[in-house]
Amino acid sequence: MTWLLEYYNYRIVAQYLGRFAEGLSNTLTAAGVSLVLSLLLGTFVALALLSNRTGLRKPVEGYVAFVRATPLLVQIYLVYYGLPALLPFAKSWNDMYFGIAALTLNSAPYMGEIIRAGIESVPHGQIEGAKAVGMNYGQRMRHVVLPQAFANTLPPLIGQTAVLIKDTSLLSIITVFEFTSAGILLNSERVRPNESFLTIALGYLLIYLLILLLSRGVKQWLAGPAWNAQG
Amino acid sequence: MLERYWSITSSLLPFLWKGFLETLYVSLVAIVAGSLIGAVIGLVRSQRVPVLTGLFGLYIHVLRGTPFLVQLYVFYFVLPNTGVSWLSWDSRTAAFVALSVYTSSYVAEIVKGAIEAVPRGQSEAATALGMNRLQRLWYVVIPQALKLTVPPMSGVYVMIIKSTAILSVVGISELTRQGEVSILRFPRDVLFIYGLIAFIYFLYCYPVLRFARWAERRVGAARIVDLD
Repeated sequence: MTWLLEYYNYRIVAQYLGRFAEGLSNTLTAAGVSLVLSLLLGTFVALALLSNRTGLRKPVEGYVAFVRATPLLVQIYLVYYGLPALLPFAKSWNDMYFGIAALTLNSAPYMGEIIRAGIESVPHGQIEGAKAVGMNYGQRMRHVVLPQAFANTLPPLIGQTAVLIKDTSLLSIITVFEFTSAGILLNSERVRPNESFLTIALGYLLIYLLILLLSRGVKQWLAGPAWNAQG
Repeated sequence: MLERYWSITSSLLPFLWKGFLETLYVSLVAIVAGSLIGAVIGLVRSQRVPVLTGLFGLYIHVLRGTPFLVQLYVFYFVLPNTGVSWLSWDSRTAAFVALSVYTSSYVAEIVKGAIEAVPRGQSEAATALGMNRLQRLWYVVIPQALKLTVPPMSGVYVMIIKSTAILSVVGISELTRQGEVSILRFPRDVLFIYGLIAFIYFLYCYPVLRFARWAERRVGAARIVDLD
């Protein structure tokens, strides 16, 4: 194994294991909190995009267009420098909060688009059928529309979550100590690019593979006849 | 106030313009080079060539499963460190190659999806006419598949333009980097300068996004790529 040490000294990586774990936990925290918040904001975006009220729909459309047509890195800078100017209480926030705010604002339009498509994918005949058997609005939503929308929404939402986790790497630029930062730290202290960057690349790849497995599992689970309008 | 912003804008504009040209240049290089590499990989994968299909599948998963920032660090720090002489490139080459390779992984899946989305009957009919595999691809399948790639390729183009901002991290003088340098001159106007930068990106990306949506409606929004 000595030949390996020259290219990839796992002993150095082992010394930094604590820092990698700390970074990984911050990455998962940032991604997890942003996921929940962006699902909430995304639901609002979806409802606003489906709304007939122009006064509500137009501003949300503008926000969606802005997020989709500008780089995440620039959005992170805008939040990082803009939020303290906008909200006085944000001045005392640590970098992680700004990171989560930026990721949430960036991810919500994509989540919203998926949720909107999910709601629209439920055929209108389903709602009419539910009305015909005497269901009220709440029953129609609970028993007919939402289960089918959920089945159509879950796979792309999982895909978007994978994107969100990868996007957390940009938080290293506003000095959040996440997974990529751990690699940068190792490289700046020991000047070992292989051990630094191949390790984090492998880490992200493992997370991605887990999500890929989850996504396949979910697709199989949802393939049951009860979830599909066509079945 | 407005006058102040106007004077900042007019004094920065030539400088930001230079950055925009670099952004334009690197995004065009990446879309062209990435499409060429991606087309070959996608074609090979759609034909299920043994061994190669699996290897390229690994290539695509590695590139799509890791953040572009990390890939950029690998191209910038790790590869020049391998001792292979032609890999000891400068930061600009590293950035251009990294973005092109990243692009190719998305293009490959689009090309594969488009080729597989052309109805099988087309290829079978061509076989019945006595065409061989290459003729079927070249004269029948690819011309039809090409149309299907237009909407998702526009989406990838927007993604590349946005990813070029990350190249500022390794010191490429593109738009975001020029913005960061501008802030040294006007440190009190950080927010305004980033707003200006965002606006310039918007002017570049938004027409492409509109085109993508228009193309999607024309082509009939065939979902040819599973993004997982």
